[in-house]
Amino acid sequence: MKILIIEDEKDLSESIVAYLKSEEYVCEVASTYNKALEKTELYDYDCILLDITIPGGSGLDILRELKANNKLDGVLIISARNSLDDKITGLTLGADDYLSKPFHLSELSARVAAIIRRKNFDGNDLLKFQNISIDTRAKLVSVNNKPLELTRKEYELLLYFVTNKKRVISKNAIAEHLWGDNMEGNNDFIYTHIKNLRKKLSDAGDADYIKSVYGMGYKFSE
Amino acid sequence: MKLLAKYNRVNVLATIIVLLLSAIIYYFFIKAALIHQLDKSLKVEEREITDYIKENNQLPEPSNSKDEQENYSQANETKVNRKFSSVDLFNKEHNEYISYRQLEFPVTVSGKLYKADVRKSQVETEDLIELILKITLAIVMLLLITLFLINRFVLSKLWKPFNSTLYQIKQFNLSGTDEMQLQQTDINEFTELNTAVSFMTKRASHEYNEIKNFTENASHEIQTPLAIIKSKLELLSQSESLKEDHMNTIQSVYETANRLSKLNQSLILLTKIDNRQFSETEKVDLSTLIVDHLNNYEELINAKQIIVTKNIEPNVNVTMNETLAEILIVNLMTNAIKHNIDSGSIQITLSKKYFSISNTGNKLQSEPSELFERFKKDRVNSDSLGLGLSIVKKICERYGYEISYDYSSLMHTTTINFNL
Repeated sequence: MKILIIEDEKDLSESIVAYLKSEEYVCEVASTYNKALEKTELYDYDCILLDITIPGGSGLDILRELKANNKLDGVLIISARNSLDDKITGLTLGADDYLSKPFHLSELSARVAAIIRRKNFDGNDLLKFQNISIDTRAKLVSVNNKPLELTRKEYELLLYFVTNKKRVISKNAIAEHLWGDNMEGNNDFIYTHIKNLRKKLSDAGDADYIKSVYGMGYKFSE
Repeated sequence: MKLLAKYNRVNVLATIIVLLLSAIIYYFFIKAALIHQLDKSLKVEEREITDYIKENNQLPEPSNSKDEQENYSQANETKVNRKFSSVDLFNKEHNEYISYRQLEFPVTVSGKLYKADVRKSQVETEDLIELILKITLAIVMLLLITLFLINRFVLSKLWKPFNSTLYQIKQFNLSGTDEMQLQQTDINEFTELNTAVSFMTKRASHEYNEIKNFTENASHEIQTPLAIIKSKLELLSQSESLKEDHMNTIQSVYETANRLSKLNQSLILLTKIDNRQFSETEKVDLSTLIVDHLNNYEELINAKQIIVTKNIEPNVNVTMNETLAEILIVNLMTNAIKHNIDSGSIQITLSKKYFSISNTGNKLQSEPSELFERFKKDRVNSDSLGLGLSIVKKICERYGYEISYDYSSLMHTTTINFNL
């Protein structure tokens, strides 16, 4: 999986690369408009992370260029300009998603994974982790080939864990992912959800993959 | 009161006073002049009578017509003063009092002293004065009618450029892009007004745009470093070699950075609503919006064992910005969940007239009236930023909705009246 990160802040792009690399993505970085244009013209990427304000031009122009050339690269706009106009323009121009800065890297990773899943034309919608398999199209989960009944939020939580496996995920990131901006700071809610999911997974006969990391959050690993 | 009406009132009043004053002055001058005239002719009579007496040494025949009367009477006194005076005498023929100007003077016939009265009627004088009064009144009426007609037809036309400018100012929207179309006029005052108005609005638009850009840029500039801080901390927290107290520190910095960015976003949102951005409005189906979001929080509500009572009328549409509508509903709903107690309850009512959300919860520590102010939170150590409700209030103000808060029988109730 190849990912292009169009972002002029070196520190930020480095962090993104470091986080995504362990998901076995191949990451490239373009920090100026011209460099970005050059790369998008030459290569195809599974997903492009696009900052709107970059030196030398607008990220939206790169998006227009991509669409004009019928490129199929998935595009995730990452912008600090939390302005509605940019979001709407970006999405109508054909971007797949929009994430405003600052974001949780785990959220970014989940969004990238979702875009790649959607763009994936080989028809394989199954996401696997050990004995768990998730059918992302039908939104069904099975453990040891037996279907597992999950609520909507539990499903989203599991998917979030699987797309961020072996990573420490903060409670805030989970709360924001599940309920949006307004629910952070109420981490008891998350505890209940984790407990329920854990119980359902272990009832289905699987090991306990959800590890609490003291003071930080949770980690999903074997 | 309209400027015109005020001006007219003063104008008409002054005119009437001046006209009445001049009528009074006329009255006295003309009366004086006419009496002087009468006195002159009375003197002529006097001379005629004295001449007659000198010639004939006897009194002339007294005459008694309506206009002129002559009387002679023997004087009882030893001396008769010559004097002019005005008298009202009853006229039997006409059965009315008639004013006369009379002259009394002494005449001596054959050594005997007589008092002679010569009188002339003042009726003509009074007629004249009456005429003057009528003319004055007519002039006052004419003046009023003229003023009325001028107001009606000329002044409203004269003020038209002013009213048009006023309308433009009322319609002026800072966030709008249209420039003012001010009506050309050849009246100096209005041209000056138009110049001033267009200068002022241009400057306001310019400054508004500067502030808007500054807000955008400030947001950008602050969010980017925050994004870096957060991403570095997130990476750092992946490290296997961290000790527990390091993890705690990292997490606390991470959460603080989070809070700072939320704070920044909320303030930017408030500024944007203040600046009347989010100007695109559409019909928003509140019923669906509320039900959708309620479903989103279903698990949270269940986890707290909160009982939700809904009384939602279907197809309640309001015309507003969709993003703002969503923020409004989400803020109120998450408040009702976050500040609720375990096994509490939430009541949501939506009708075409109002939306109200009640939840159980501990009594407020602070004044309810302060609840909608910025950075007012009920508890010092609470995680909330204290901006949620002021954002809600700002949105309500923007659309002219009335928002109120009430605490009774252990329920916090926020009501939004749509004023439709």
